[in-house]
Amino acid sequence: MTATSSAATVEPGVIPALPPAPEPPRRGRVVLVGTVAAIAAGVMLFGGLLAAYFSARDLAEAAGEAWRPQDVVLPNVPLFMAYLTLLMSSVTAQWSVSALAARDRRTMYVAIGLTLVLGLAFVNALSFSWSQLGLAAGTSSYADTVYAVTVSHLLVVIAAHVAVLVMGFRALGGQFSPRKRELVAAAVGFWHFSSLIGVVIWYCLWFLEGGP
Amino acid sequence: MTMTEARPSPAASGGVEPQGQPVRAGWFSTSDHKDVGRLYLVTALIFLVVSAVGALLLGIERLDGGLQVLDRQAFTRLSTLVPEAGALLFVVPFFLGAATYLVPLQVGAPDIAFARGSALAYWTYLIGGATLVAAYAAGGGFEGSSDVATDLYLLSLIVLTVATVTALVSILATVIALRAPGMTMLRTPLFSWSVLVGGGVILLTAPVLAARLVELFIRHHFSGELGDPQSYGLVSWFWGVPTAMLLVVPAAGVAAEVVPVLTASRLREHRAGMVVLAALALLGFGAWAQVEASRDDLLYIAVSLAGVLPALALLGVLGDTARRGRIVRKAPLLLALGAVVHLVLGALAGALLGIPALELRGTAWEAGHFEALIFGTGALGAYAALWYWAPKLWGVRLGEGSGTLAFFLGFWGAALLAVADLANGLLSDQPRAATEFEGEALAPVLNGAAALGAAMVALGAVLVTAQVIVRIRRRRGARADDDPWGGATLEWATTSPPPPTNFEGPLPVVRSPYPLSDAGDDAGPVGDDAASNGGAEAGR
Repeated sequence: MTATSSAATVEPGVIPALPPAPEPPRRGRVVLVGTVAAIAAGVMLFGGLLAAYFSARDLAEAAGEAWRPQDVVLPNVPLFMAYLTLLMSSVTAQWSVSALAARDRRTMYVAIGLTLVLGLAFVNALSFSWSQLGLAAGTSSYADTVYAVTVSHLLVVIAAHVAVLVMGFRALGGQFSPRKRELVAAAVGFWHFSSLIGVVIWYCLWFLEGGP
Repeated sequence: MTMTEARPSPAASGGVEPQGQPVRAGWFSTSDHKDVGRLYLVTALIFLVVSAVGALLLGIERLDGGLQVLDRQAFTRLSTLVPEAGALLFVVPFFLGAATYLVPLQVGAPDIAFARGSALAYWTYLIGGATLVAAYAAGGGFEGSSDVATDLYLLSLIVLTVATVTALVSILATVIALRAPGMTMLRTPLFSWSVLVGGGVILLTAPVLAARLVELFIRHHFSGELGDPQSYGLVSWFWGVPTAMLLVVPAAGVAAEVVPVLTASRLREHRAGMVVLAALALLGFGAWAQVEASRDDLLYIAVSLAGVLPALALLGVLGDTARRGRIVRKAPLLLALGAVVHLVLGALAGALLGIPALELRGTAWEAGHFEALIFGTGALGAYAALWYWAPKLWGVRLGEGSGTLAFFLGFWGAALLAVADLANGLLSDQPRAATEFEGEALAPVLNGAAALGAAMVALGAVLVTAQVIVRIRRRRGARADDDPWGGATLEWATTSPPPPTNFEGPLPVVRSPYPLSDAGDDAGPVGDDAASNGGAEAGR
C-alpha cells in the first residue's frame, strides 16, 4: 500500500503524513437532513393533534353526546376552496425550483410571487371559514380540538411563508444558482409539507364530518 | 434569461477553506456552538438547583403531618414544578448543551449544522424556562390560582418543546451529514450515537406533547378550565413510564464513553454499545401511552418490562469493559458508573409501575421512579460529562475531591430519595403529593430518609454548579492537556479548549470507532496503552 511504503521511507520518530481527506460533505445534505428532521417533527405534531381530535370525538360518542354542536354548520365551499388554493400553491412552489434549475430567473420570481399570493389567499379563506363556522373556542371539545388543529396549521403555513419569502429575497440578491439551490428546495419542501398537512386536515376535520 | 453561477467555494473545488480568525462574538450574539453549549450547561445546572431545592422543600413538608413551610396551593404547584424543571429545564437541555458542544468535535465537523438555529434554540429555552418559573411564582400551573399565569405556564411549556425540537434539528443534522471522512454511522462515538438515537426519538415525541399543550392552552384560555384532575396526565407522561428512560439515553451515552477510557479498556464490541443505546431510546418512545386507558394494555406492560433489558445490558457491557481494564478511582468513572446503577434502578421501578395489578400508579412509587432516573441517572450522567469533558469545555480539570464529593452526594442522595419513595409507595400506598399519613409506622422514617436524600441531591447540585462557575470564571485548577484521559475519539485531537474552527489541522481518515488510535497504528506498532495515548498525539 502507498501509505505503508511512504511510512517506510520516513525517518525514525517522524509521524508519517496521513492520506488526504476526501472532499467534505456538501451543505446541501445538511439542509436536506435538517428539513427532513423538521418535517418529521411537524408530522408528529399534527399526528398528535389529530389523535387528540379523534380521541375526544370517541369519548363524546361513547358518552352519547353530540360531537359537533347542533347549530354549527360547516361552510363546505369556502373550506374546500381554501385547501384547494393551498394545494395549488404547492404546484407554483415546485415551479420555482424547476425554473431555477432551468436558469430561468424571471419565471422563478413569478412562481415565488404566485406561491405567496396563493398562500395568503388560503389564510384569507380559512379566516373567512372560521367566521362562517360561528364556533366559539372553549365551548366544547369539538371547538377546542378543531381550533388546536387549524391554528397550528395556520402557524405552519405562516412559517412556510416566511421561509419562501426569505428565499425570494435571497434569490433577488442573486444568491442561488442551478447548482446551488438547496435552500430554495428546502423552503419549497417545507411548503409542500404544509400543503399536504392541509389536505389531511381537510379530509379528517371537514370531509369526514359531513363535507361535500 | 441566463444566470450567473456563484463562484465555487475552495472547499467544494477540492481546495482548502481559508482559516480566518473569526472575531469572538459576545454571549448574546454568539452562534459558536461551543459558546452556546457552555451557556446551555450552566443554565441547565442552575435549573437543576431549582428542581432539587424544590424536591427538598417537598421532603421537608412530608417530615411531619400537615404543612409547615408552604401553603396547600404552593405545595401542590411545587409538586408539579419539580418534575417539570427536572425533565424539561435540566435533563433535556443539559444533554442538548453537551451535544451542541461535543457532537461537532466528536464527528470531526468544523461547526454545528444551522449554528444560528442552535443559538436561537438556547435563547428560546432560556426564555421558556424563566417564564415557566415566573408563571409558577405568579400562581400558574395545573392547579394554579391565576388564569393569566396558567396561560403563561402552558405557553412556556410549548416554547420549551419548540426550543428542544429546534436544537435537535441542528444536532441531528450534524451527526448525520457532517461526520468526518471515513466515519460511518457504525463508527460514530457512543455519546454522539446516544444523542442521535435518543434525540431522534425525542424529536418525534416532543411535538406530541406540544400538540396536547396547544389543545390545553386553547381550552384554558377561552374557558378558564383545564378539564378534570386527570388532565395533568396528558402532560406528565413525558417524564413517566416509559419516556423518562428516553430522556436519560444521553446520560447512558456519557457512561459508555467514560468507562472504557478511564479503565484503559475498550468495549468488546462497539456495535453492542450502539444496540443497547438504540434499544433504550426505542423502548422509551411513549407518546402512544399518554392516555390513562392505554396503561392497562398488554403492550404497555410489555414495554415497561422490556425497558429493564437494555439497562441491564448496558451495566453488563460496561462492567465487562471495566473488568478487562484497570479500574482507577477517578471522579468521572465513579459518576458514570453511578448513573448506570440508577438507570437500572429506574428501569426496575418503571417495570413494576407498568404492572396494573400492583396499583403503584399515583403513589410515591411514581415519584421514586422519576427521582432515580432524573436525579440519579440524569444528574450523575451530567456530572460525569462535566468532569470528563471539562478540559475540552473550559481548558481546566475539575477537582478530583469535589468530583468524589459530588458522587457521594448525588449517588447516595438520589438513592436515599428514590428508594424511600419507592418503599413508601409499595408498603404504605402513600399518594404522590401527600402531606398527611395515617396508620403506617414506617412512613415517617421513610419520609425522613427521602428528605435527607433530597437535601443531599440539592447540596450536590449546588456544589457542582458552584465548582463549575468558580473554576471557569477564575480558570482555577490544573490546566488541562489536550487529551488528559487518553481518549481516542476526535474531540481529543484538538486543543483544550478548541479553536474557533474546532480543528487546526487536517483530521485523520476515520477507520474505526477509535480514530486517534488508528493514527497511532499508522505510525507503527504500539502497545495497548500507547494505542490510546500515543495515538492521540499522532492524531493531532
